[in-house]
Amino acid sequence: MKIAIVTTHPPGKGSLNEYGFHFIRFLRTKIESVSEIVLLVDELPGGEKYSIEQEPGLIPVTFKVCWKFGAWNNALRIRKAVRESNPDIVLFNIQFASFAGGKAAAALGLLAPWLVRQAGFKTVVLLHNIMETVNLKQAGFGSNPLMENVVRQFGNMVTRFILHADLVAVTIPKYVEILESKYGANNVLLAPHGSFTEPSSEMPEAVPAGPPNIMTFGKFGTYKKVEVLVEAFERLLPAHPQARLVIAGTDNPNVKGYLEGVRQKYARVPNMHFTGYVNEEDVPRIFGDSWAVVFPYTSTTGSSGVLHQAGAFGKAVVLPKLGDLEQLVVEEGYDGEFFEPENPHSLADAICRVIDNPERMLEIGSKNYLAANGLPITEVVDWYIIHFEQLLKK
Amino acid sequence: MEIIKKTSGSIAILQLKGRFDAHEVAPVAAWMQTQVDAGLAQVLIDLEGVNFIDSTALSSLVRGLKHCREKGGELRLCNLQQPVRVIFELTRLDKAFSIYADQATALAAFQNIE
Repeated sequence: MKIAIVTTHPPGKGSLNEYGFHFIRFLRTKIESVSEIVLLVDELPGGEKYSIEQEPGLIPVTFKVCWKFGAWNNALRIRKAVRESNPDIVLFNIQFASFAGGKAAAALGLLAPWLVRQAGFKTVVLLHNIMETVNLKQAGFGSNPLMENVVRQFGNMVTRFILHADLVAVTIPKYVEILESKYGANNVLLAPHGSFTEPSSEMPEAVPAGPPNIMTFGKFGTYKKVEVLVEAFERLLPAHPQARLVIAGTDNPNVKGYLEGVRQKYARVPNMHFTGYVNEEDVPRIFGDSWAVVFPYTSTTGSSGVLHQAGAFGKAVVLPKLGDLEQLVVEEGYDGEFFEPENPHSLADAICRVIDNPERMLEIGSKNYLAANGLPITEVVDWYIIHFEQLLKK
Repeated sequence: MEIIKKTSGSIAILQLKGRFDAHEVAPVAAWMQTQVDAGLAQVLIDLEGVNFIDSTALSSLVRGLKHCREKGGELRLCNLQQPVRVIFELTRLDKAFSIYADQATALAAFQNIE
């Protein structure tokens, strides 16, 4: 089976690049089912090039650069690249803002699965969020109620186009329910998110050395806002003067300059560190040093890759009381301390319940470790292969 | 979880009772591996007594199905209770597995292929 995957991939820094990286890392090992992988990836800035080691025993991977974040013609270019590659299956690893920050270009890009299916290829979409659960204003897509309504109508239309794929996989049960009840879809399935790291990553049995280290990880500026975390951190500094706050990651592509603005606004706050983009090899250290991983989200747009990563490293997490995240925590066996979204008092209290109580910290960490490592992404990849094989039988 | 192992001709049968989740996967996965390694790639799992299944347990069945097929066999399921059937439908794994109403029908399906 030859598989083409429309995705972002390191060194590209677009959203879902990490998910793409890990999914492909394990897909490459499935030599009994897959013969070739073609990655249909986005253009890199500054002449950067994609590369991947071709090792014996692993499925060969080739990169085909065929779309550009923000461009209007991505769907057409992707269809052309698929035709040239001629795969058995095309998998899209996408979310609503995968192809652009602007509304129109983002919507046009999302027509790609439909176009590819129309061109006669078996098409599977892994859709990491759905329009119905996105807070458009906070995700940077709705500047006023009228505009938000217009965007939502367009979103519904785009969703209908996406649902023309042979299969649409989502990672939260509620999403299946919504897509089936609202759109009458009968091709949607639940596929677990899976853990990025191998189960052999050791579960921490002691609090990390050094002062309390509070970390947040992601692409910030839309619904992931660090101001509330910085203000919570300020509140706990008198009791923990040595504590560190690590803001690991970059601006969301829709909000360039956001983190620099935060750095300037809160220049008075000591012990605050901005790491910038975190390379794959540095991820274990960033998580490993943390006492608590904080999710300063104001809304969510799907299953959280960062939560799975925190779990895989056996870390305690501090989460906002938001529908999707709370549901995921309960359904997948995670644990954490919760705070009221956008409330620094509540967040400071939640962080203290972790860092002042090593027993609780390790208890949460161990539950999260078991939850995240229960289903590593290599097994999730097997689910997809089973579905691909089923599709090809038709 | 209670596990009952049986055979019917060349078909290995596993009857499960109770909650089938991450904590119960290891013995089932080990049993399936032993069957496949011994060349018994025709496997029937009877889930009549299972009222809960989680994603890790489902994944162990997917892995078992894959291994059986690699050896030219098949892993079939029977007697799914409503809560378990719902999970199979939600994940569309009901399309990937051959699922039968009871053991007799499932065993007959194996015979038809043989």
